[in-house]
Amino acid sequence: MTELSPIKVGVVWARMSGLMDQVGETCVRTSFSSVVRENYDFAIGLLDARGRQIAQSRRSVPSFIGTMARTLQAMLERFPIESLEDGDVLITNDGWLGTGHLNDITMIKPLFRDGQHLGFIGSIFHTVDIGGAPSPSAKDCYEEGLNIPPAKILIRGEENPLLVDILKANLREADETLGDIRAQFAAYHTCAGRLLPLLDEEDLPDLEAFADEALDRSEASLRRAIDALPDGTYTDELTADGFDHPLVIRCAVTIRGSELAVDFTGTSDQIEHPVNSPLTFTQAYSCYAIKCALDPGTPINDGAFRPITVTAPQGCLVNPRRPAPVWGRHLSGHYMPPAIYGALAQVAPDKVIADCGSPLWNVYFKGRRQGAERPFVKMFFMNGGHGARPTQDGPGCLSFPSNVSNQAIEQFENQTPLLVEEKALVPDTGGAGRFRGGNAQRLSFRNVGESPVTVTIRHERVDNPPRGLLGGSSGAAGIDMINGNRIPAKTQTRIAPDDVITFQTPGGGGMGPPGERDPKAIRADIASGLVSPAQAKAQYGHET
Amino acid sequence: MNAHPGPFRIGVDIGGTFTDVVMLDTGSGNLVNEKVLTTPEDPAEGVLDGVTRILDANSAAAEAVQTVIHGTTLVANALIERKGVKTALVTTKGFRDVLEIGRELRYSIYDLFIDMPEPLVPRALRFEVDERMLGSGEILRAPREVELRALAAELRAAEVKAVAIVFLHAFRNDANERMAKGILAEELPGATICTSFEVMPQIGEYERTSTAVANAFVQPIFRTYVERLVSEMARRRLPDDLYLMLADGGTVRHDTAVEFPIRLVQSGPAGGAQAAAVYGGLAEERDILCFDMGGTTAKACLIQDGEPLKSDSFEVARVFRFAKGSGLPLQVPVIDMIEIGAGGGSIAQVDKLDLVRVGPESASSEPGPACYGRGGRLPTVTDADLVLGYLDAASFLGGDMVLDKAAAEDAIRRELAGPLGLSVVDAAWGVYETVNESMAQAATIHALESGRKVQDFALLAIGGAGPVHATNLARRMGVRRVLCPLGAGVASAFGFLASPTSFEFVRAAIEPLADLDLGRVAAMVDELEQEGLSLVASAGVRPETATTVIGALMRYEGQGYQVEVAIPRAAIAAGDPGELGRLFEARYRELFGRAEAMPPEIISWRVVVSGPRPMLKPTAASREGESLTGHRQVYFSETGGFVETPVHDRYRVRPGVRIAGPAVFEERESTIIVPPDAVAEADPHGNLIVELQI
Repeated sequence: MTELSPIKVGVVWARMSGLMDQVGETCVRTSFSSVVRENYDFAIGLLDARGRQIAQSRRSVPSFIGTMARTLQAMLERFPIESLEDGDVLITNDGWLGTGHLNDITMIKPLFRDGQHLGFIGSIFHTVDIGGAPSPSAKDCYEEGLNIPPAKILIRGEENPLLVDILKANLREADETLGDIRAQFAAYHTCAGRLLPLLDEEDLPDLEAFADEALDRSEASLRRAIDALPDGTYTDELTADGFDHPLVIRCAVTIRGSELAVDFTGTSDQIEHPVNSPLTFTQAYSCYAIKCALDPGTPINDGAFRPITVTAPQGCLVNPRRPAPVWGRHLSGHYMPPAIYGALAQVAPDKVIADCGSPLWNVYFKGRRQGAERPFVKMFFMNGGHGARPTQDGPGCLSFPSNVSNQAIEQFENQTPLLVEEKALVPDTGGAGRFRGGNAQRLSFRNVGESPVTVTIRHERVDNPPRGLLGGSSGAAGIDMINGNRIPAKTQTRIAPDDVITFQTPGGGGMGPPGERDPKAIRADIASGLVSPAQAKAQYGHET
Repeated sequence: MNAHPGPFRIGVDIGGTFTDVVMLDTGSGNLVNEKVLTTPEDPAEGVLDGVTRILDANSAAAEAVQTVIHGTTLVANALIERKGVKTALVTTKGFRDVLEIGRELRYSIYDLFIDMPEPLVPRALRFEVDERMLGSGEILRAPREVELRALAAELRAAEVKAVAIVFLHAFRNDANERMAKGILAEELPGATICTSFEVMPQIGEYERTSTAVANAFVQPIFRTYVERLVSEMARRRLPDDLYLMLADGGTVRHDTAVEFPIRLVQSGPAGGAQAAAVYGGLAEERDILCFDMGGTTAKACLIQDGEPLKSDSFEVARVFRFAKGSGLPLQVPVIDMIEIGAGGGSIAQVDKLDLVRVGPESASSEPGPACYGRGGRLPTVTDADLVLGYLDAASFLGGDMVLDKAAAEDAIRRELAGPLGLSVVDAAWGVYETVNESMAQAATIHALESGRKVQDFALLAIGGAGPVHATNLARRMGVRRVLCPLGAGVASAFGFLASPTSFEFVRAAIEPLADLDLGRVAAMVDELEQEGLSLVASAGVRPETATTVIGALMRYEGQGYQVEVAIPRAAIAAGDPGELGRLFEARYRELFGRAEAMPPEIISWRVVVSGPRPMLKPTAASREGESLTGHRQVYFSETGGFVETPVHDRYRVRPGVRIAGPAVFEERESTIIVPPDAVAEADPHGNLIVELQI
């Protein structure tokens, strides 16, 4: 068939990646979802006729890595490709088929050229409102919102009226969610309009020849990295705070030649709280962790996952059965990277990092502003300290493994009756080590309104702090307080006017024995106040 | 040359290697230029040297100089090299770490080893004051005088030279910042004290803090530099009212510039964009993609309807090149110029995917590309250009520097062709294609981010490597017309002369359009206009020739990105917010092809007061004689190999003569490549215009 030179592969690759980014940029600019535009909580993907993902937009959160090809297979089981026509668009938000919870909508459109099926363009985006009543007390996924099974949202270019009516009838903010859905139609149209001329210019009859090349190269790159590590099985186990009792996440990484297998056998059973992580999400964060450690410099496509298998027993926390509640899937999914790094540290200590102050902390504030017609609902993100790295300290308050930015306090105070009294780094919260973990932050919110504000939190690492690695110490555990008194980390509570609620995120773990820390670095920490003289003496034996 | 009658206007641009000087005879329109070496330890030396040289070379008297307009990388360099003064930050109680915490976002998603930018003020020099402003602009707590005086003692003991005061919500009401400044200024005579409101009153505490701190950090050294330059100019009987080029493409008198040095952060490239606007105007092109490719980077900026597009923020001193989010954010009005890729010195290598990758590592000028023969062994873009015949070994820099083609071929064979199993020429073509493709992608996305389609623009190439890559780049983006102006190598300095005196104000005011009190808006616009008029009047602009442009940043409630909408004065005077809504909707539809049934809101107002844009019609000093100087072998993908190609002396091409490709046009600082199916023509102003078949 078509013989592609390395030069041509490189150029076509750049063009296709660029096309994904162009489509992604259009989505960000027109989105009504703040998580889409501020946190890039979306992805655009191109798949070939066989359903292999060739290219993905570069800036997106890790949750969507590799999920689109699996979702497409599930869609095609319901709607075989022979039954699809030009102008059809498929949709689903099923957590088990998609990305692990109902708030992410995956949409995929088959592409045709001269009546021939060419491939697929798809996107995944986060929607704030999906109906239902998601909460920390949800016992099953039915409470968590509307499940759209694989369905046609567009039929030969016309909206499916029944589906649109169902969405309107079930969503609180149907206009916004439908607005975001419709923005995808325009994006696909743009994409198709540019992809076909691109193929003509590059003299490519289809996507297959390029897909073969790109996927093989990505695969070979990761295989080389895995091959460089000694064969064997390496294990790690960590404890998550959980709800009523702690949860264990157990991970075995087996390296055999150029293959790497991650298995979560021994992990706690699924629970009736919304922290279960469907296998798709578990796989996404596992593959992400491995890619960061072993092959960070290459683009994402299906080839980059061929050498990796991720398995977990059915019915466990990281591969739950329906109808487990999954809304807060990140509360276990974000533990995949530290568990895998704990195992890999035994063979690749120079490629991994100590535990970060995550799973991501967030808080929902709900209440009424004086004079406002509608109640406000505001989600606020707070990152913990980053884990120490093999050659550097961990930065204070950097998002990992997700990548979610904070919000400007000046914006937030304009939208709520809350006054932020501090947003500050907390001394002595980074784990000691040859390289120190990043410091945690503390945020205090005073209710300056006239009515109570409902606060929903579900924080981890309060009982079990982020661990140090290779002799490094743990970071400080997180703390939640009202008026200076500790409150549970997973709760829904109310703060009365003038009450102050305080959140202190977890600090990052340290790396390497503290005794090996450069005294200059210790003195600099004391000068900046990030480490107190007392702590310097206790942890490092440093006399001031 | 005969003595010029003048009066003259002089533009001076300090670059990394050279200081460029351009002199315009306002009487005859004649334009001359000069390059002298930059003097990094005292940049004023180079400036004064260059000005003296250009006057002497053209037998012009210092007294005949009307204005000197200056752009400099001094501010950006001081930030990149952290060579400002010892600076303290004073914040609202509880918020001194905002500067260090930043946005908490990783700028590179797969890299576990990223460094975040070090704050300009270390934690030990960040102080807090017990004061609080509310989001409404209402004072919850004013700072107490006794606390401020005690703080002043600490600052004095710490021997800081500059202080930035940044309080929450000061963009809305600066009363607390003003009070703190008053007391600190009284206690710390001689120290520079900046408030965030003065520097840039925009919402967003991290970005505003970063901006105010950067301004304080560089202000003392910038002030010293400008004062010395002004006094030296006076001593040499040059005019003492020096003008400085701002990053947004306006110019201001030096006494205004020293208050806000952070506004000069990108002034050199801003000059390049202004030059592109002028050159484009001469060629009757109003919509231009300015493409500036030099030794280490390529930059792009869009000019629409004759004006460079602007942005209200910029990132300086990136820890990781090209990575958005790895630098210090600045909220300053700038010409929206982005780095789109590598430069001539960027190194090509085989990556982990066994594909060609170009940059971001650069061979710089030392050791330089392999063909420079200074010990560089790694292949660069320039080496590929030489192998493909786009550059000529004997005529590089007008023949001042002979290139070693064999060394270029060796480097490409060793590092690329061998490992990939390709011929040297195919590998060189691979480098050329790869670098062009990634620039085409970046420029296309940049246009999209600005809500435009790159195909609607003509490409104008400046910088040494710009014209070499311009036609191929244009074709990849679907752009039909390429303009190559004369003097592309000194475009920035020329652009200074072409820039109007202007000043921009920004006022944040978030409110639903439905609640907008247009009477209050009118009063605010009037006030800012008066302030702007007095600033430009001090620069000699007659008020009746000044213009005021009003823009509103708007979006639908619930969105996060705003769209700038030009608001006519009459729309404000009419007092109907609905009219603003219609203007917004029209603009939104233009950008995104749809409008929403949602209520719009206003985020902030922008008021720009400008003097008239100087009318420049430079006349090219052309050489006599036949332009065709010979032939050489040049590689074109259109013909699938090397073609015997005519070589022309660019300075001898007469206006109106059409020359069909393939052809090469050589000038001192660059080479223009015209592919086989294109046609080139010179216009009366010295632009060479290439029309491509797309």
